[in-house]
Amino acid sequence: MEISELKTNQCVIIGITGRLDTTNYSILEKKLMDLIEAHNDKILVDCAKMDYVSSSGLRILLMALKKITMAKGKFVLCSLQENIREIFEISGFTNIFEIYATQDEALKVF
Amino acid sequence: MPIRFPKFSFFRGLAFRYSLFFTISIMIILFFPLVIAYASSSVLLLLKAQKEATILTEQTITEFENVLQPTELVPKILGQAMENPNISYVEVLRIARDFVYHDPVVFGTCLAFEPYEYSKGNYWYAPYAFEKNGKLNTRILGSADYDYFKKDWYRLPKLLGKPVWTEPYFDEGGGDTLMCTYSTPIYRVINGKRLFTGVLTMDVSLSGFERMVKNINIFKTGYGFLVSGKGRIITSPKSVMNNQNILNLAKVGGGRETMVAIRSMLEGKSGFNEMDGFEAKKNPSFLSYAPVAQTGWSFGIIFPEDELYDDLYTFLKFMSWMFGISIVILMFTTIMITRRMTRPIVRLVAATHNIGQGDFHAKLPVRKSKDEIAQLTNAFSVMQDHLRSYVLNLQETTIAKEKIESELSVAHSIQMGMLPRGFNTPANWELYATLDPAKAVGGDLYDFFYLGPDHLCIAIGDVAGKGVPASLFMMVTRTLLRAKAIAGIPISEVMQSINHELCQDNPNEMFVTFFAAIVDLKTGEMDFCNAGHNYPYIVGPGEDIRQLKARGGLPLGVNETMNYTSEKFCFKPREILVLTTDGITDALNTSNDFFGEPKLASTLAAMANKNTKGLTDSLIIELKRFSLGAEQADDITILALQYKNSSETNAQPMQTFQLKLKNHLSELDNIAVNLENLSEKWNFPAKIVMEINLVLEELFTNVVFYAFDDKEEHEIDLSFMLVDAHQLQMRLEDDGKPFNLLEKKVKDVFDKPLEERQIGGLGIHFVREMMNSVDYQRSGNKNIVILTKNF
Repeated sequence: MEISELKTNQCVIIGITGRLDTTNYSILEKKLMDLIEAHNDKILVDCAKMDYVSSSGLRILLMALKKITMAKGKFVLCSLQENIREIFEISGFTNIFEIYATQDEALKVF
Repeated sequence: MPIRFPKFSFFRGLAFRYSLFFTISIMIILFFPLVIAYASSSVLLLLKAQKEATILTEQTITEFENVLQPTELVPKILGQAMENPNISYVEVLRIARDFVYHDPVVFGTCLAFEPYEYSKGNYWYAPYAFEKNGKLNTRILGSADYDYFKKDWYRLPKLLGKPVWTEPYFDEGGGDTLMCTYSTPIYRVINGKRLFTGVLTMDVSLSGFERMVKNINIFKTGYGFLVSGKGRIITSPKSVMNNQNILNLAKVGGGRETMVAIRSMLEGKSGFNEMDGFEAKKNPSFLSYAPVAQTGWSFGIIFPEDELYDDLYTFLKFMSWMFGISIVILMFTTIMITRRMTRPIVRLVAATHNIGQGDFHAKLPVRKSKDEIAQLTNAFSVMQDHLRSYVLNLQETTIAKEKIESELSVAHSIQMGMLPRGFNTPANWELYATLDPAKAVGGDLYDFFYLGPDHLCIAIGDVAGKGVPASLFMMVTRTLLRAKAIAGIPISEVMQSINHELCQDNPNEMFVTFFAAIVDLKTGEMDFCNAGHNYPYIVGPGEDIRQLKARGGLPLGVNETMNYTSEKFCFKPREILVLTTDGITDALNTSNDFFGEPKLASTLAAMANKNTKGLTDSLIIELKRFSLGAEQADDITILALQYKNSSETNAQPMQTFQLKLKNHLSELDNIAVNLENLSEKWNFPAKIVMEINLVLEELFTNVVFYAFDDKEEHEIDLSFMLVDAHQLQMRLEDDGKPFNLLEKKVKDVFDKPLEERQIGGLGIHFVREMMNSVDYQRSGNKNIVILTKNF
């Protein structure tokens, strides 16, 4: 898994490439928690290139959502691949997360 | 649970409430007579006081007049006498002096003459006699210093030509005392003419009146006073008032009413008036007054209003005390009486309290009288007896019931234990059966067993009735089936034989609807006989569903001579035979609707692509959803048998792949890589690969994290098996702690708000959602999870 980070005026865009699973979720966890501790409370996670996620990965996303919601910030996801979207649906996370089809659409909410 | 009585408080008790009620009632009842008595008393008192004051006024005035009458009469007679020329002045003077000496109030007399009238040499001549220390002294008045011609007592009678009472004055050089003078003009007739020659006076000392006025007592501080025609106070017991103008005094303390009263008094009227203050006293008072005849004086009596009512107030105070004491006594008495009356109730409460706590032998208080409380006590006594026998009965019944229940539960475990469970599924076949009893012991049964290597006997039945008898009948039927079924014998003959046995000794006229079949596992051919049971369903792939509507005869145990016939059926690949009992179609929901045959058919059709377990489980879930918690009325039994595609399996021998893993997370990559390879080799779609990968990761991670308490290395076996072209089976084995993931609840993943969600159950939720079936076994020291995925 690779993680890219792009800071714009509106928010921080995190891009995930490859598999987000039990072996590597802690990398994403550290990245997101560092951002949140540095008071970046507007985060967009672009999942366009993420082709696998396990419950460990979902846990990190949920943690980030909880923390940012408490800080009254905004945490959104975009560009989920079809099979990833299915996993989100099975887990019921589509009701919890704000998910947009494209990055452009997502950026409008900040 | 101990029974709690509300805490008793004195203020909520009958005694307090009754006495309070009585007291308040009596206070209200007595209040009005008291007020009326007070009002009428005060009116009567006022009338009485008015009468008394008027009488006293009149009496006093009469006394004054008695005293004054001689004072007026004597000078009048002497004056007339002096008009007679034969009577000398000296004579008159002597009589007058005699009068002064004997009269109690008159203390002096003077005969004053006009200038030079008495003798040519004297301008003034006025011989004056006055009493002092019991002696009569004489003095001649008149000088430049004492010019009596200018005094009122001389001037006024001369001017008016009639006797006059003077205003009180202090006669300096004359009587040397505060006095009033009655002065009569004296005339002499000379040459037929009546000429004024002087005056004869009688001096009245006011100290005499003072004594009389001082003696007047009315109420506590009531007093009398004498006032002259011009308003000067002649005498009163209050020295400050003496010689003052009464109008000034009235202005000091009084208002309009006082002025009205005083003016009326000075006008010479008599009456009884109320005053709103007089002199220094501002409090209301009463004034009774009347004129003293001819003198122009008036006499008045003043007494304060509050003194008039003093006695009444004292009486009222006394009455109030008496009233208060009576109320206290009344309250006390009522409390005592009520307590006495409620004492048996209190005792009864204590006794019933004990009964309530479970002491059915608690002694109730004994009442000798036949009053309501005695009746209540009797009623309680009867209730206590009934309760006692009822509880005794209940205890016996409960013990008996518990005994039966424990026996029933033993019967249930025997019955359930008889049902075949672990089953070595023959190649190309899949079988699954379940029985969910309505009561502890039911009348449903299913069975399956091999008849030699190539034949399988399956059966389902429903004994009419429930409970232990039905269960026993069912066991007999099953035993008979196992004994009679032999490969090569048509099932109809087996049924006939069972029917014969069951009819032999069936005093209770019990019967069982029964479906039995012998399946040739090689050819897929089935020889079946339906003895009055529900028609079985054949669920084919692609929602193709139909019923086997062949009747082989009446239910078993009804007619001994019944001939049963059998039918043949040949399984096509992937077809499932579904046997059910009427517990499914007759299931009720809370609105009393049946699940029914059409719904069963449509439900089964919708699950055509599932395996036997998936189909059975889904049907039961659908049934539970339909009944919405309504109580399950009948046993629910399902047996499903599927024939797999023999040609496919034959053409493609079962392919397996084994993977030995260490309990380390890095093995996840290993799993992913091998799965990728397998998917290419065995040709399953990419979507499935990801789902399988996810499920395996969740399960494997679970094992790595939670299965082992030690830090040692363990081996985890993962095997893949391609059952057919559309079904993959995976087996994950570990030697960790027992963990049945099927028992784990995942409900809270969805029901709770975001903040409370547990992430832990999510992995297991994925496993259940993404696999077609999940099985768990604990075998030896191993956890075995078997996953099936259709594609």
